[in-house]
Formats: sequence, C-alpha cells, structure tokens
Amino acid sequence: MKAVYGVTRFEFDEKDDLKSYTVFLADVVHGRPPWRPLFLIDSWGQWVYRAVQRAAEQLSLPTTKGWDARYINGYPYLAVIETTEKEAKKREPMFRKRIRPYIEDFNAIWEERKADMMSTYKGLKQRYGLKKYDGIKKLSNVDLLDLFDDYMQVNRKQWDIHMEFMVPAYYLFGLFEQMCSELLGFGYTDPLFARLMAGFDSMVFRFNKEIWRLGNRAVEQGFEELFRTTKDDEVLLAKLEESEAGRKWLKEYYDFLEVHGWRNERMLDWATPSWIEKPRLGIPLIKVAITSGGTYTIEERREEAVRERREAEKEVLGRVPAEQRGWFEALMKAAQKAGYWSEDHNYYLDLYCNGVGRWITREIGRRFAEAGVIDDPEDVYFLVADEVEKALIPMGKNKLHHQVDVRKKEWQGYLKVAPKSYYGNIDLVQEILRKDPVISVATSVPVVREDVKADLYGAASSPGVVEGIARVILTEDKLAELKSGEILVAPGTSAPWTPAFEIVKGVVTDGGGALSHAVILAREYGIPSVTGCLEATNKIKTGDRVKVDGDLGVVYILR
Amino acid sequence: MSEKWALWFEELGQEDRELVGRKCANLGEMVKIGLRVPPGFALSLEAYKDFMSMTGAFDEIGKYLAQSKPKDLKQFRQSSVGIRQIVQSKAMPDKLEKVIASYYSELSRRCHTGEVAVSTRSAGTVSRPGQYETHLNVVGRSALMDKIRQVWASTFNPRSLAFRSRKKMPLESEPIGVAVQKMVKARAAGVIFTADPNTGDDTRMIIEGNWGLGESVVGGKSTPDIYILDKKNLEIQEKKLGPKSRYVTFKKGGVTEKKAPPGKSGKFCLSDQEAKEIGKLGKVLEKHFGVPQDVEWAVEEDKPFPESIIMLQTRAEVIAQNKTPVDQVVDLMLNRFSRGVGFGGGKM
Repeated sequence: MKAVYGVTRFEFDEKDDLKSYTVFLADVVHGRPPWRPLFLIDSWGQWVYRAVQRAAEQLSLPTTKGWDARYINGYPYLAVIETTEKEAKKREPMFRKRIRPYIEDFNAIWEERKADMMSTYKGLKQRYGLKKYDGIKKLSNVDLLDLFDDYMQVNRKQWDIHMEFMVPAYYLFGLFEQMCSELLGFGYTDPLFARLMAGFDSMVFRFNKEIWRLGNRAVEQGFEELFRTTKDDEVLLAKLEESEAGRKWLKEYYDFLEVHGWRNERMLDWATPSWIEKPRLGIPLIKVAITSGGTYTIEERREEAVRERREAEKEVLGRVPAEQRGWFEALMKAAQKAGYWSEDHNYYLDLYCNGVGRWITREIGRRFAEAGVIDDPEDVYFLVADEVEKALIPMGKNKLHHQVDVRKKEWQGYLKVAPKSYYGNIDLVQEILRKDPVISVATSVPVVREDVKADLYGAASSPGVVEGIARVILTEDKLAELKSGEILVAPGTSAPWTPAFEIVKGVVTDGGGALSHAVILAREYGIPSVTGCLEATNKIKTGDRVKVDGDLGVVYILR
Repeated sequence: MSEKWALWFEELGQEDRELVGRKCANLGEMVKIGLRVPPGFALSLEAYKDFMSMTGAFDEIGKYLAQSKPKDLKQFRQSSVGIRQIVQSKAMPDKLEKVIASYYSELSRRCHTGEVAVSTRSAGTVSRPGQYETHLNVVGRSALMDKIRQVWASTFNPRSLAFRSRKKMPLESEPIGVAVQKMVKARAAGVIFTADPNTGDDTRMIIEGNWGLGESVVGGKSTPDIYILDKKNLEIQEKKLGPKSRYVTFKKGGVTEKKAPPGKSGKFCLSDQEAKEIGKLGKVLEKHFGVPQDVEWAVEEDKPFPESIIMLQTRAEVIAQNKTPVDQVVDLMLNRFSRGVGFGGGKM
C-alpha cells in the first residue's frame, strides 16, 4: 500500500478494497503515460469519478452507482460500484423515466448543454476581462488565483455534462450493437455497421474541414512545395513570415487558432502545450491535408458517407421483421445519435476545457518560475492545487522546489513501470461489463482465445487483415513521427489523433471498446483495427513487422 | 346442478372457458393433447355463483356497495376489506362442500395418498394475471375449503374493484373458476416463452428457471437462470447463470421463500437436456394453440427424465407490441443490462 504522490485519497488497500469491489481495471486509455500530480489529483481525480457517480444517480441506473477509483504505481484503476439485486429493482422505475429523453432525442439535450458549455467558457474569460490569449499575463495574482478556482468549477461542470451523456450513449450503443448481431447477424466490426454510423456532421468533421481549407489556401498561395519539403514546422512558420503572402496565410491560421486552438497536444493533460500556445502543433495536420488533398475533398467524402448511410439504413430496416421494426428503428436512431455525440463532444468538453486549463496553469507556472518558487514553468505540474493556493499570492515567499523534486522522481519511476492490467477477480469481469457497458470506454478485458495462436488478443473492431511496420506512439506529441503506410500502436486514441488515420494502414490499441475513438475512426476510414489488446504498447516495438487481423481480433508480431 | 360444480381436467377442453375459466380450460386442453400435467379438477363459475347466492353473500355485498358507493382507490380499499369479510364469514354450503370433498378424496386416491397437497388458483374467463389469489401447498379438506373461499373472495380485492368500476362492469360479482391441482415437488421450476416477449422474435424461445417452486420466477423476485433456445432445432444458443439469491419451497401448510445456499445459487438449475425437453413441450403447445405461449413448467423431484418435466399451465404470451417503440427500447435495456441476456424475471 503506497499513496501516490503522498495523497491518501486514492490509496489502494488490496485486502480491504477487494472486499468491497470485485475487480479493479487499469485505465490505460486515459492514464497512460502516467499523469503528473496536478492533473492526476486535482483534475482527473477530483471530478471524473464523481461525475460518473452523479450520472449513475441522476439516471437511476439499476446496476451500478458509477465508479470508484484507486491509484496504483501512478496509474488510475477503476472499479464498478455494483448494486444489489434488490437495489436494482428499486431503481428501475425511475430509470425508465429518466432514460426516455435520451432515447427520444439525444441530440436536442446535447445541443442545449453544448451551447451552455460554450457560453460558460466565454463567461469565465469575460469575468476576468480576457480577450486575447496573452491577456492572462496582465491579471493580478489574486485574480489569477480566483480564475484558477473558478476554472475548477467549470472543469467540474464539463465532467458532469460529459458523463451525463456518456452513460446513456454507451447503454444505447451497446444495446444496438447487441441487437444487430442477435437479430441480423452482424456485429460492430461489420462494414455495414460502420456505414450506419458514418457521415454525421460532427465537430470533428467541421474541424477537419477547416484544416483542409487552410491546406487548400496554402496550395493556392503557392506554398505546396514549402509544406511538402520543410520537415521542421518551426522553420516552416518562420519561412512563411518572410513573405507578404506567407504572413497573410499565417494571419488566417492564427485566427483559426484563436477559435479552435484550445486543445492540448495530449488531450487530457495540462502538461503538454496547446495549439494556440504552440502554433506549430497544427501544421502536421495541414500537411496531411495537403498531401492527401487534391481534388478529392473531405466534403465529397462526407456526402458519400451520408448516401451510404441512408442506403445502409434502408437495407438494415428491410431485414428486420415488420413487427419488430418500430423499436429497432427507434434504437438505431438513438444509437446513431450516441455515436455522433461520441465524435462531437471531445471538441466542446475535453479539448476545450483542458486547453483553458493549460492556459491558466501555465501562466501560474510562468510566474512561479519567475519568482523562484520553482525552477521551470513546467514544474508547476508536479505541485498539487493546495500548494498553488499557498504560493500564488505571497509570490516568491514559499519555495516549492523540494516538492517538485520528490514528486518528479516518483513520476519518473512510474514512467518506467508497465501497469498491471487488473487487481482482483478477473473471472467476474464479463458480468460487470454487462452491467456497466460504460467502463469499456476506459479499460479492456483480457481475451483468452484458444482457437488462434497469436501474440496479442483484442476486439475485432474494424475488419480486414494488413501487414506492416509498427510505430508505437504513446502520446499525441509524437504523432508527427508516423510515416505513411505504418501501423499505429497506441494506448488508445482520442480526437486529436484523427489525422493519423489518414495515413496509417492499421491500428492496434491497449484499451478501448466499441465506441472508442479509435474504433469509430478506423471503421470510417476502412482500416483494419484490433483494440483492447492491453499490452500492445508493451509487447510491440517500433520497427517490428506486425500482422493485424481485424476480422479475428488478433495481432501477430513477425519481427 | 352439482355435476357442473366440479370437473376433472380431462373432461375439459379450451372451448370450456366460460364454464370453468381460461386456466382450467387450457389445462384440460393440455391433458387432451397428451402433455404431462399434474392431475386435478376445476370448480366452475357456477360453483362461485351458487356459493354467493346460497350463502346470501351476494345480497349482502349488493347492500354493502349500495351504501358505501366506492369511487376512488382509497374507498375501494375500504370496501374490499368489508366485502372480503362478508365472503369469508360464510361457511361452505353443505351440498357444495360434499361435492368438492369427494373430488378431493378421489384426487388423493389417484395420487396414492391420504390427503394430497394441492394448489388453488383462480381462473377468470379472460386472462387477468396477478389480480387474484393463488394458494400453494394446501393440505386437507378444511384447509381446501378455506382457501377456495379465499380465492373467490379475492375477486373483491381493491385492484379488481377499481378495474371493474373503470370498465363499467358490475362490482358485486365476478364469477371465476378455480383450478385445484396436485402440487409438484419441484426440484426446479420456471417459465418458457415460446417467442421473445420483448422483441416478438419468434425464432427463439426463452426459458427462465430457479430452484424450487416457480413462484420465485413468476414473481420476478429473484434473478433466474436464462436459456435461449433456437426454436427450429432446440439448440441452446446461450445460457446465463442467474444469481438466484432466493427460492421458494414448501413449509407446513404453505410455502416460504428462502435464501439460496451458495452451492445452489452458483449452479444452473437445469441440465441442457432438461432445457431442451421444456423447449420441445413449449413448441408443442405453441403449435397446438396457434400463437406464442407463456408456459409454467416444473422439474419433478425423484422422477426419471423425461417424465420429470411437467407443464403446469399455459396462456397466450403477451408480446410488447402495444407498447411504444421507446418503451420497448427501455425494456430491452433493462433486460439486457440489468438482468442478463435474453429476458428476465418479473411478469405479472
């Protein structure tokens, strides 16, 4: 038993905790590589689990009351808070009432919350008179501390909304998947399933459209060659500054970043820069747009997807017996909206909110370093919120080097540890997954397969078989290392990874279920993919030749 | 008149619904087509009517209602207490008691025992599951008379009064039949739906079962084992071990619910062979009645397979079609995630 970063709140007591919970599953999708303390303790730990618990209560979920969490060796582990049979029965009538609106009109509720969230971000900035990104430097220390505290409440709201939708989304999506395979014999790995879910006008699509527009503008201005040949993106930006046309393009790019640049290199982390802070971060994407652009536009691709979806809907409904078509169609529509939400929400929730979090914490770090509280601005992420509160106003009086040193050493130790995938009784995990389909967003369950002899076993999440050279990428900031035609091996993927799917041949992940970002995108791009392999990033090394079998859900390491 | 008060199941067929109630008529039909059904006899609607008139209960109830004029559920609750007292205060008329007693002793004789344990179940002319009372493990002549009167009296429960009032039916009487049937010493029991009641999918059948008597499954109190059978070839597509935390078993003069010992709750209550046999019989019933059936079955202890598989009653299955699509989706969600695959406990 060891408290991670000295914080006892998430301390794991193997003996007692395994009496209360059946099994703890490693959340490798989010928590790998291990977070630094400020984010792990005061953002993730503070709000995420509570939001899941709140969502379970608000919906009166019969089978679970959300998740509990423990931190072991720097990694977060999840346990489902199961109900008893008796409680389940009691919670059922309320669940019937509360789930209805999400089946009837998932989008309408989401559009409302989305608008609310965007105006919350705006309100936070306005309250402190913050118009431009750099305006934060002018705030007094007192105001900056208030902003930090107010932001935490915004962060909380963001997570509450997140889970309010994520829970019904997973229930609906999971049910639809089950009924498709039961009634019509096709699972979510079938291309038909992918077609049913594709072509919605989510923010990911609109964001990519902007990227493509900037790419096209660069080509129009005669910069195609420059983008194609300049490897270093900082150099590229500097070269653009040299000409009138280049500066014009940059202005357009910076305007885009003021609106859309609130996203960190690692989506859920404050310790990596945001796009608005480091404009070079958006350039690799624009390069991808230019190299795969030409006349084939992203817009055309979407129109095609919409057409295909309509045809797929007709085909599927035609195969459902007439007397069952009513509920099937209602479920299909709800599942489609859940899928749409799953794509759409990252922009408004995770990305934006953590982009703002980065902005505020980085400014705190800058002041601390300047006043000699810590050595390096980025060291702020080795503090905890209490210490930020303590040191911000009597600026320079409270030195925090020691805390930083101790925790940095601890964190560096965690970086070297591969997390054990679970603690407790793994045999009962299928039962738990059934009761709580949501947990598959964060964790995976080891699959034992005796019929095939492979090196890794996971979920067959996007069909097809492909062989190629693996590239292991643990964080988004390393995405630029990916080369066209390689096979991406990652802990999980989130929205900022989208461009990678333009160029890779196959995808293998440690975690993630049917609704995870990697799966949705792999299907959309028609790339074979195996997700939830648990140890893919441990076992596969960059440069290995691997065979990804998206039909069987296995991966072979050929070396 | 007396020959119409009581009839053996084997004298009945499904056309006798108006005579003895739907449940009894179906039991007769099941015997007719050669299914294994526990032996028993039916009391006719006529027996109910004659009991009410011979004892004067009918007139008293009429007067009581004329005075109290119940309108809302609270008043129905009050009236119910009053009326049930009237009914239960009446002794069984001699002539009627004699007939019932003679059938009971004949049934006991057929079962090679002095006083056979029986169940007494209501049998309305239209199926209204869960509205009236059922008594299990009734032993001996006087207990039987008592329970029969209680079943009759249960037609005056508040819910039924409210129901009749809403449907503008007379409040003072609702004749029903009563099925008096030998209790099966069940090792396991439950129901089979010959089509998925949630989706209407009629290519598969769903069996739910628990240890002991079927009441724990029918009442939806304990999450049962679930088997999903391919209707064509009776292959088991899926089976799901239910926690079965409680089960219903015999006690003196009735039944009781008990906590399942760990050795039982962790084990399937049926063998695959038994599940398939239940499926086979379910198919026979569906074919005979022409629509999907909801059948109660039991596995009798100390009997060799397949004679151990017994059908207790059958009725046309209610498929969730008059529900809105959204309600059906909610039902599905609950059944899948909360109760396991297929379909879970809790029908009325």
